[in-house]
Amino acid sequence: MTSECYATQVLEALSERIGSGLREGRRLEPDLLWLQVDPEQIRPATRTVKEELGARFLITVGIDQRPQGRGYGIVHLFSFDSERLFVALGCAVDESNARIDSITPLIPGAGWAEREFQDMIGVTANGLPDPRRLVLPDDWPEGLHPLRRDFPYNYRPPSVEGVAPPPAEAPEGTSVLPMGPFFPVLEEPASFRLFVEGETVVGCDYRGFYNHRGIEKLGDSVLTYDKIPFIAERICGICGFIHSTCYCQAVEKAVELDVPRRAECIRSLMLELERIHSHLLWLGIAGHILGFDTVLMQTWRIREPVMWLTEMISGNRKTYGMNMVGGVRRDISPEAIPRIIEVVETVAQEIAEVRRAIAGDTTLLARTRGVGTLSEEKAREFCVVGPPARASGVPIDARLDHPYAAYDEFPPRLCTQEEGDTWARLLVRVDELEDSIRLMREIVSGLPEGPILAEVGEIPEGRVGVSAVEAPRGEAIHFVETGGEDRPYRWRVRAPTFPNLQAVPTMVAGQSIADVPITVGSLDPCFSCTERMEVVDLRDGRRKVYRRKELEELARNALGRGKGGRP
Amino acid sequence: MFLSKLREALICLRAGRVTLPYPFEPHDPVPGFRGKIVVDPDLCFGCGGCANVCPAGVILIQDSGQLTRRLEFHWARCTYCGRCAEVCPEGAILMSQQYETATNARGDMVLALEVFMGPCQRCGRCFPAPTPLERLLVQGFRSDHEGVRPGALVPEPPSMPATAGSGGNGGRQ
Repeated sequence: MTSECYATQVLEALSERIGSGLREGRRLEPDLLWLQVDPEQIRPATRTVKEELGARFLITVGIDQRPQGRGYGIVHLFSFDSERLFVALGCAVDESNARIDSITPLIPGAGWAEREFQDMIGVTANGLPDPRRLVLPDDWPEGLHPLRRDFPYNYRPPSVEGVAPPPAEAPEGTSVLPMGPFFPVLEEPASFRLFVEGETVVGCDYRGFYNHRGIEKLGDSVLTYDKIPFIAERICGICGFIHSTCYCQAVEKAVELDVPRRAECIRSLMLELERIHSHLLWLGIAGHILGFDTVLMQTWRIREPVMWLTEMISGNRKTYGMNMVGGVRRDISPEAIPRIIEVVETVAQEIAEVRRAIAGDTTLLARTRGVGTLSEEKAREFCVVGPPARASGVPIDARLDHPYAAYDEFPPRLCTQEEGDTWARLLVRVDELEDSIRLMREIVSGLPEGPILAEVGEIPEGRVGVSAVEAPRGEAIHFVETGGEDRPYRWRVRAPTFPNLQAVPTMVAGQSIADVPITVGSLDPCFSCTERMEVVDLRDGRRKVYRRKELEELARNALGRGKGGRP
Repeated sequence: MFLSKLREALICLRAGRVTLPYPFEPHDPVPGFRGKIVVDPDLCFGCGGCANVCPAGVILIQDSGQLTRRLEFHWARCTYCGRCAEVCPEGAILMSQQYETATNARGDMVLALEVFMGPCQRCGRCFPAPTPLERLLVQGFRSDHEGVRPGALVPEPPSMPATAGSGGNGGRQ
């Protein structure tokens, strides 16, 4: 069924269920259905879209529309994967009564998205099971919402000592084991409070986002359309090209701009190169987490020529700076083609060798099989994306479901597994590596001639574009509403780790403590920063959270004693 | 199990040593690498296009008086995207091959350039000489970064008119 027919069906089903509650429904782009409902009808409408029609929840966008006199806009984005259709289900929340019904009781994976708009826009979600802060720091003043239009981008509220996040209550009969603030072995900050019974983990609580950089705010207050790709690239140190592509595509879709075919092919080529080096990097890190450093050394050795290749093509190992709205800035010279093929063939050969070697490694199998299992049901519930979803048998891949760049001509193979454990996730990634190499060969041989950058005229206000790009970690989503002053009115980014991390409590439940690092690591996560330490007094079970000053004091005292009383 | 360990050992042995002896031997980046920016003071005529497009807001412009425009490149925050080099109409900015930029003096990360401009007869503000002929007339009044102490004349960046946030009016006040 074409997305057009399906859009009509969705509209009919909705108007049947909620009648006059459906204010507006039209197709904005070939693959985007824009729906506006009454705020009271948001939960019934979500039920229709999610449960009856089977859409997959992506993310929620909160928009401050008070300058237009439309209160706050809350837009839930959904995807109909097999119909290649995005649905934006939105409503305008009244300024004086900024409340909306939570959809998390229907979709557990929407929890973080709703906590985020509570923080950033200041619309309360009624009936949200866990209404704690998600993104804002704990000492952030009440009632200040950074993504409101009247909030200056460079305002810093004074910091306050002595506030701590309200921790989730540990289940009866369990002890708390803090893991963090630096995640063991994966040198990234993340704080997990594990609830354990002996050696077995029962659940966990995550607090992160301490290093939130406010890139979305910069995008709608400081940067211009042409500057954002270079900043978007810095959202992730590994999959930067994905975010810049995703942003550019969202703007291009919003203004219906045709990108030259050669530029689309170059984008696909770079995206696949990025997938190759990211999956190799992950394989190495997974080996390192398990104490199997041979894999780390060898996969990173195999990865290095790929990095030199990206340096040759783009001018840098990472943060390529190639994407612009309308195409790419740097062309691939004919002399580079043989070199690309040579590197890719070497990687293909070496990866096959590594795969043969590790497939029979009983130690590796013992540490990954049956570890961190995520059932298909839970994966769908938490809207998990990317390799973790595919390893649990959820057949989604943005390259196939919402073809972009040159993937309509060069479709990837859908690599899925059924088991949902860490080994299955490893297999999915190795399969994807091999498929990326095949795609690289095809794209390089089918690279068309022509221009690489389209002329972008004046970008009109009030257009909306939604774009999905399959990153190595899963699907990244960018939403752009165009605005005046040469910059977006709202730019929303959803990185793939955002939904994936929400599945961690399910994945670690029933595991032993030693398996937690690889379970979390098998999501290939990108963390935010946290800066606290929690100490549990074993004698009376009291919890104490040390703050930076206290820690410094403690360290100084300890140091002073060690050096004979010197301060 | 044993076979797989043998295979793993074989991969390691065949790879041998792959690390480079850097820093004992120089390691040249590939052609087209985008390193530290280099500005040719003789070519710049102060149009401010670079400041207009810089995503990181690294390039600041300040008009001191009617005749001189001061361009500052605070490249400690430079993201090496090369947009400034791309838009420069005179080719005055180049992305060099230098990547060894670590320093313990902050001043090393600032490049300042003063360009002699023509004062507008009506408003008195300075503007780039519109024709190549007029540009020739004002040459010789430039000083490059050696003659200027970095950071000496500059007020706080946010108060300046041509930061990234001003929507790009760097060249036409």
